[in-house]
Amino acid sequence: MPQLAIRDLRKSFKDAVVLDGVTLDVEPGEIVCVFGPSGAGKTVLLRLVAGVETCDSGVVALAGRDVTEAPPETRGVGMAFQNFALFPHMSAFDNIASPLTARRAAPATIKTKVEKIAALLKIGHVLEHAPRELSNGQKQRTALARALVADPKVLLLDDPLRNVDAKLRYEMRLELPSLLKASGATALYVTQDYKEAMALGDRIAVLIDGRFVQVATPGAIYREPASIGVARLFGDPTVNLIPVEPVIRPEGLTVHIAGCIVPLSRRYEHAAGRACMLGVRPEAILVDESPMADGFPVELEAVTPLNEKTLLLLRANDGRELLASEAGEDAAPRRHGVAHARFDPDALLLFDAASGERIPPKA
Amino acid sequence: MEHTSGLERALRGVALALIVVFFLFPILWIFLMSFQTNEEILRIPPSPFFTPTLGNYAALISGKLTTVSGTLDIAFMRNLWNSVLLSTASVAIALVLGVPAAYAFARFKFRLGEDIAFTLLSFRFAPPLLVLLPLSLYFQQLGLTDTYAGLIWVYQLIALPLILWIVRGYFEDISPDIEHAYRVAGHSWWSTFTRIAVPLAGPGIAAAGLLAFIFCWNNFVFALILASADKQPVTVGALAFVTASGIQYGQIAAAIVLSVTPTLALALYAQRYLVEGLSLGAVKG
Amino acid sequence: MSAVATEAPAHRRRTNWLPYLLSLPALIVCIGILVPFLTAVYYSTLRYRLNLPAMKGFIGFGNYAGFLSDAAFWNTVRVSLEYTALTVGVELLFGLSIALLLQKRTRINDAISILLLLPLMTAPAIAALMWKLMTNPNFGVLSYFVQSLGVKNFQWASDPESALFTVVLVDVWVYTPFIMILLLAGLRSLPKQPFEAAALDGVPRRFVFTRITLPMLMPYIVTAGLFRLLDSIQQFDIIYPMTQGGPGDTLLVFQVRAYLEFYQYTNVGKSAALLIILWAITYALSNVFIKQWLKLRERARGLA
Repeated sequence: MPQLAIRDLRKSFKDAVVLDGVTLDVEPGEIVCVFGPSGAGKTVLLRLVAGVETCDSGVVALAGRDVTEAPPETRGVGMAFQNFALFPHMSAFDNIASPLTARRAAPATIKTKVEKIAALLKIGHVLEHAPRELSNGQKQRTALARALVADPKVLLLDDPLRNVDAKLRYEMRLELPSLLKASGATALYVTQDYKEAMALGDRIAVLIDGRFVQVATPGAIYREPASIGVARLFGDPTVNLIPVEPVIRPEGLTVHIAGCIVPLSRRYEHAAGRACMLGVRPEAILVDESPMADGFPVELEAVTPLNEKTLLLLRANDGRELLASEAGEDAAPRRHGVAHARFDPDALLLFDAASGERIPPKA
Repeated sequence: MEHTSGLERALRGVALALIVVFFLFPILWIFLMSFQTNEEILRIPPSPFFTPTLGNYAALISGKLTTVSGTLDIAFMRNLWNSVLLSTASVAIALVLGVPAAYAFARFKFRLGEDIAFTLLSFRFAPPLLVLLPLSLYFQQLGLTDTYAGLIWVYQLIALPLILWIVRGYFEDISPDIEHAYRVAGHSWWSTFTRIAVPLAGPGIAAAGLLAFIFCWNNFVFALILASADKQPVTVGALAFVTASGIQYGQIAAAIVLSVTPTLALALYAQRYLVEGLSLGAVKG
Repeated sequence: MSAVATEAPAHRRRTNWLPYLLSLPALIVCIGILVPFLTAVYYSTLRYRLNLPAMKGFIGFGNYAGFLSDAAFWNTVRVSLEYTALTVGVELLFGLSIALLLQKRTRINDAISILLLLPLMTAPAIAALMWKLMTNPNFGVLSYFVQSLGVKNFQWASDPESALFTVVLVDVWVYTPFIMILLLAGLRSLPKQPFEAAALDGVPRRFVFTRITLPMLMPYIVTAGLFRLLDSIQQFDIIYPMTQGGPGDTLLVFQVRAYLEFYQYTNVGKSAALLIILWAITYALSNVFIKQWLKLRERARGLA
């Protein structure tokens, strides 16, 4: 039985459809990242699960109980709000303790539990402080502690790292997965940062325009994105997209790119003759100074070394720009000018140009 | 950036001094008068030097006014008590009724709420007699004429719009997520209202309450029309007192001092919120 | 999907009725206002005198039509307008000047601005009595001052010539601080940059005032002015205790006259018609006012 079941959830504000039939199961102990561009309806989804907003239709069930119409206080979820939403007139301790006081826990129990979670989140020393005396990071940890303290059925995290500075975000991104795993919480984690989603999620649910366009493991989403839209959202730099029309030739399935013939796996033969979009991840472009088999000449226009990789800006004969990335700083050619590029045939993605959906290869 | 010349500063000083004199002299003079005997008051030329006496206050408090033609009963202390009772009860009731309504108007955007809020606001600016005169006829039929209950009910016209509009603004300033967080934590709507919304809007509620008290206290026309002598507050009572006592100017002054002291004290105490209250929340001080 | 149990939820209907319940008392007060208001509208169409109940009857716009040829009515309109124009005009000028004098946040300025609130917090009816005592022809300190300045026979509120001046003076005393404190708050909330820029460019101060301060302060001036306009045209609390509308008909403004029509002449119909006319004026003004006020309120809440 899923810990959280969402069925065909719909929500509109006035004429604007925010959630257009959303369905999702989250298993006990699982962390699902809801990822999508801003305005996709992520926060509204969390609010519907928490019960602070009401849906137009659909079902929300927690541990098998239909809570669609239940007020938030009866749902037993924990939620960390994007703006922390700490109670400004209460100390950090009382903030964290509030879910326990609502459950009428004994003062001693409250003290133990609050101190335990505070220690885990490294805010034990500021428990007596009022929210306005806390740093942003401490506020954020207080909000998390408050959400976690009562062992909620489902933990709802609304982009908790959005309003903290970069360094803190980095630390928390490392810390959160083990923290969440340690607490054994089932979590729905909203984020706009694909790296955060990849780092934290057992699965990622990609929400675009009020619909889940793909729900899968981080690896699957990266390797087999359901659509051009999803492919674009994951990866930095983003995927190169090239309009192509695969044709069957004696030597196999090929596409024309910049006047060159580039081979494609035979498993895409069913796409022959269709207007397609070829998706090439930057790391799937191999660049060399000397010509390669199945390669094509390009102009190397810019080289940007980053810490762990090097970005290359290429220009094909037809003027098309391509971004390639090479692992490490030394592997790639450094000299601007003529070079040769080749696509890794196993890493290519093919999408239907009209619908934007991925064309899966035949087995 | 101060390029003010000495002359300009002197002029400013003089202007400010004149302003202070104009606005404070009447209060000061009446205050002095309240400690003078009638003979001292009637001296020509008037003089700020005299031997202060508490006789005027003693007469008011004892309720016995000794004049050349004998003693006169005065009910001024009763008026004072009426003012305390009417204002306190009206504000207390207006807070009990108005704070939840203000919360409803702030949190739930609903048509009826807006209609009520704006009706009350627009009648805040309507001629009070328009409502009061027909109301006095209804009150006679309902047996509410000259009752505290009737007066307190009508005083809601003064207190309620003020409380609604000021407190509403304070509620709107609280992030809804703070309340959501409390509810998600497992607290009922009511305990969220009493433990989160009300404490956070506390300063606004206090300010609105104090101001409403001042406005109720200072009201004249409501009680003039709906109350007879034994229920009248100081504003109406003082006027009746002037007519009745004729030339007991020292006592009149003392009565005035007693009438204005509570509001002036409250105003000084709550001055931080006055701007906001006086503009019904449109201007923050 | 099958795993989703459908046991009866604990709470079926959410709190949709809640806002209505919460605003019920306010609604009742509203109705409590609207019923007498509609009654007044109805009375204004009646020939209705308390002392002649037998003559009670519907006369449509008879009361209103009667006003057209009633010199007393036009006197009321004139006096009301004069009173309003004088008080609001003087208070705006005076209040703005004081606010400008006190604009800088210094300890002494803040103390003065607080002290100036005292007249505003005095009940207007009591303020009228205070001034009545001070202008008493026998011992009033102001009468004495005026006399020592060489003005003979200045009778203040008892003389038709000076009655309006006297009540306007009291109104100014009470309500100028209202304008002052609103404009002071407005002045102090204005953004600093335009003034700093003007100072850097050496713009003359008179220019800064007319081109920067005044336009930026305008919403506050308009709101404060309309606020006072709405109150002033309904004046009762000062005039009634001070002179009861007299001497003669010099100070018979709308509400005082309506009050006397009702209680002295027991002419309910005419009194109601007068008040409805006053209401129409204030209603039109209050619509303008509320728009301004809402704008200012939005702005104040934006700053918070």
